[in-house]
Amino acid sequence: MIHDSLIRERLVTGGKTASDVTRDIARPILNKPSTAWKVGFTLSVIFLGIFVVSLFWTLWTGIGTWNINKSVMWGWDITNFVFWVGIGHAGTLISAILLLFRQKWRMSINRSAEAMTIFAVICAAMFPVFHMGRVWVGYWALPLPNAFGSLWVNFNSPLLWDVFAISTYFSVSLLFWYIGLIPDIATIRDKVKTKAAQYWYRFFSMGWTGSTRTWARYELISLILAGLSTPLVLSVHTIVSTDFATSVIPGWHTTIFPPYFVAGAIFSGFGMVATLLVVARKVMNYENYITIGHLEAMTKIIMLTGTLVGIAYLTEFFIAQYSGVEYEQYAFLNRASGPYWWAYWSMMFCNLVSPQVFWFKWARTTPWFIFIMSIVVNVGMWFERFVIIVTSLHRDYLPSSWVMYAGSLTEIGLFLGTFGIFFTCFFLFAKFLPVINMSEIKTILRNRE
Amino acid sequence: MGHGHHKIEITQEQFTVPAKAKRFAIGLTVIGLILAGIGIATMDNGSSHGHSHEATTVVKHDHAATENHGEAAEAGKHVAETEHHGNVENPNFGPRAEFYTQTKPWATRIWSNILIVGYLLFMVSLAALFFVAVQYIANAGWSAAIKRVPEAISTFFPVGFAIAFIAILVAKNDLYHWVHYEHLHLTKGQPGFDAILDGKSWFLNSKMFLIFPVVLVAIWWLLGRKLRSLSVAEDSAQPGDVSFFKKSIRFSAGFSVIYGFTIAVVAWLWMMSIDAHWFSTIFGVYNFATAWVTALTIICLFVLYLKSQGYLKIVTDEHIHDLGKFMFAFSIFWTYIWLSQYLLIWYAHIPEEMSYYQIRFEEYKFNFLLNVVLNFLCPFLILMTRNSKRNPVVLTIVGCILIFGHYHDVWLMVVPGVFGPGQQIGLLEIGTLLTFGGVFIFWVLNALTKRGLIAVNHPYIEESAHHDVGV
Repeated sequence: MIHDSLIRERLVTGGKTASDVTRDIARPILNKPSTAWKVGFTLSVIFLGIFVVSLFWTLWTGIGTWNINKSVMWGWDITNFVFWVGIGHAGTLISAILLLFRQKWRMSINRSAEAMTIFAVICAAMFPVFHMGRVWVGYWALPLPNAFGSLWVNFNSPLLWDVFAISTYFSVSLLFWYIGLIPDIATIRDKVKTKAAQYWYRFFSMGWTGSTRTWARYELISLILAGLSTPLVLSVHTIVSTDFATSVIPGWHTTIFPPYFVAGAIFSGFGMVATLLVVARKVMNYENYITIGHLEAMTKIIMLTGTLVGIAYLTEFFIAQYSGVEYEQYAFLNRASGPYWWAYWSMMFCNLVSPQVFWFKWARTTPWFIFIMSIVVNVGMWFERFVIIVTSLHRDYLPSSWVMYAGSLTEIGLFLGTFGIFFTCFFLFAKFLPVINMSEIKTILRNRE
Repeated sequence: MGHGHHKIEITQEQFTVPAKAKRFAIGLTVIGLILAGIGIATMDNGSSHGHSHEATTVVKHDHAATENHGEAAEAGKHVAETEHHGNVENPNFGPRAEFYTQTKPWATRIWSNILIVGYLLFMVSLAALFFVAVQYIANAGWSAAIKRVPEAISTFFPVGFAIAFIAILVAKNDLYHWVHYEHLHLTKGQPGFDAILDGKSWFLNSKMFLIFPVVLVAIWWLLGRKLRSLSVAEDSAQPGDVSFFKKSIRFSAGFSVIYGFTIAVVAWLWMMSIDAHWFSTIFGVYNFATAWVTALTIICLFVLYLKSQGYLKIVTDEHIHDLGKFMFAFSIFWTYIWLSQYLLIWYAHIPEEMSYYQIRFEEYKFNFLLNVVLNFLCPFLILMTRNSKRNPVVLTIVGCILIFGHYHDVWLMVVPGVFGPGQQIGLLEIGTLLTFGGVFIFWVLNALTKRGLIAVNHPYIEESAHHDVGV
């Protein structure tokens, strides 16, 4: 069935057998938590605490605790929202699009990337939800039959499309992730010792028996969900981009936004996957599963998507000057040379210039360097959203409305706090669920036999 | 599973063009010329402007349109327009009515058709080269068995380029209203001065227009030639020698980066500048999407043809299925890019952007909708099932729809901007497409004979021969 060329690198190294896979990957779940896990989890919970405090302050006092104002009405909040939604995209790309492209290297990383997607979308949702101010009427964002007179959602608004796109995306990602987990949960079910653990793993394995019939259904549903997720992942960041691009704000209204946002999302998502996995493979001893070859493939995607985003930056800049529209021309010159020049050039350096280092094999195969680069990538992508949002808003059409904007302590606290949410979830996931898809990995072990 | 382990014989194949295929290609060209001739003979010259006047000036209008018409007369024409639309504060958003009527409709129509077909074939053949490069940088195994087909198609891109370039050299004054404007040498304050076009002269000028694409084509051609020569040298290398393969990856990466950064520039210069007042940041991506899906279609059709003639023995339904998936998937990609451009411009409704769709939606509504039917609905609905993607007849039908659909897509980019309202696809258009389509087929078939059809020493050829999609 499989005739892999001899020049292809092995996807799983170290001569692992199927029982090795189960033992290695179930180990963190069956054993007591390691010191590294305890330290990491504690730190995450501290950051989660920062989120709780900042959120409490926001709700207790009001949105006035944020520095957003009449001109810059979106600031750190929407920057963070787009940042986190973007990070989520790599998970779906790996699990769905790479599945359709038969990229088998995805099998070692898809589980953790999908988990990351779900946690990132939760983090993202915090910002628009709490930006509503009166969060207790947040359900008004849904088109529900209601008793509020003629109150009804505006179907023409991309902000509403966002509500639909992101909630659908979250549901399908969760479903995809969970379905993929079922065979592995069943494996854990058969290994855990305590009554409580047996009960819960049995509950979530949904009576998985491993019969041919269940496998056939499992594979079919995986393919269908992959097919559904592929347009979905493109649609989510496309709609996020239309939040800006349907407007008439210079620097926002530009037709390249949809594909450019999607490329940027995949770029930042792979940045975050690399951040997590470079550490996880070391700490959890998974170097034979998440090999240097996997890291190399990820860095190539980072370089590709970073360059695509760079092409979009240059295109925008060029067309703005070409357009003859003075507002467009000014918006882009102001980005590069106005008061937020440092944000613009940070973005340019981190997203377009720095990934070019991955042309060198050393850079693609040195884990500590990839780790640093993955952070640089995400700093750059945060700045990209900040640049788009703040530089276009802070100089209104009306010069008397020109203002400067910087995040308040509360806004900064909320952003740092979402890292608490994200990592707390991720550490819990790494403790209670297998971070690598055991059943899929076992199918590629036999390649060389 | 067991059956997969048997050894598949991989032997070199030498293609010779069957006489029937030659007749077909030549026949297409002849029929195309006849149709185009009938089209020209029966053309409604359309305007009250004197036919004889145009006939006398057509020969030299390339060099000296302004002299022919007289600068004063030209400038005078623009007075009315300037008063009508306003001036610097309120720039007009599209070409002037004077531009449409001062052209020689029949000659311009011929040249615009040559530009459309030449540009399409150029972009498509170049996209075939990009396909080859993508296979290397993505480390793809399945496609090794068919790679000689896109390599052969890619040899055509300088020809397609030359066809389009000739049309531009001869008729740029009538095809591009900014070229026409450039020759007027108007300065600020003069009647007819157009601030927008004047502001674009750093990019939209005859030097940039003619030199830049030639430089790019030279670079692409050198890289393409290198990739093809590496590929053919590999055939006579020692089995297991991966040095050609590794070099190919490097050149593919280099080509892809250059292609990615520059392909949009050609689209801006040659296509977007037809509507010189208009701009769209996604336009380069849109042109790429059109070329890419058409290239995948043409690759698929050539593979099907070779297969039907008994060649490409190691290519199976699995490979065909994958090509069908590409046609399906990238038709959706094209639609995504199409929608991104249209939706955002429609939604924001800014006058300087609307002009492009206003004329296309109001004056060319049938074509506007047909574009989506041919390029999205047809492939989407017909190729959705697994069986249709493995069926040569269905793929051929959808392939023809897509080729015509994307020809029509380029037609719709060009014609409303050159002629204004009132044009339609007639015998001349079909004839031009068939004429150059025949030339293209003849050329590619001939290119296929120049080397073995199978990349026998490609490191992934075994993998490709055993390719199995599974579901």
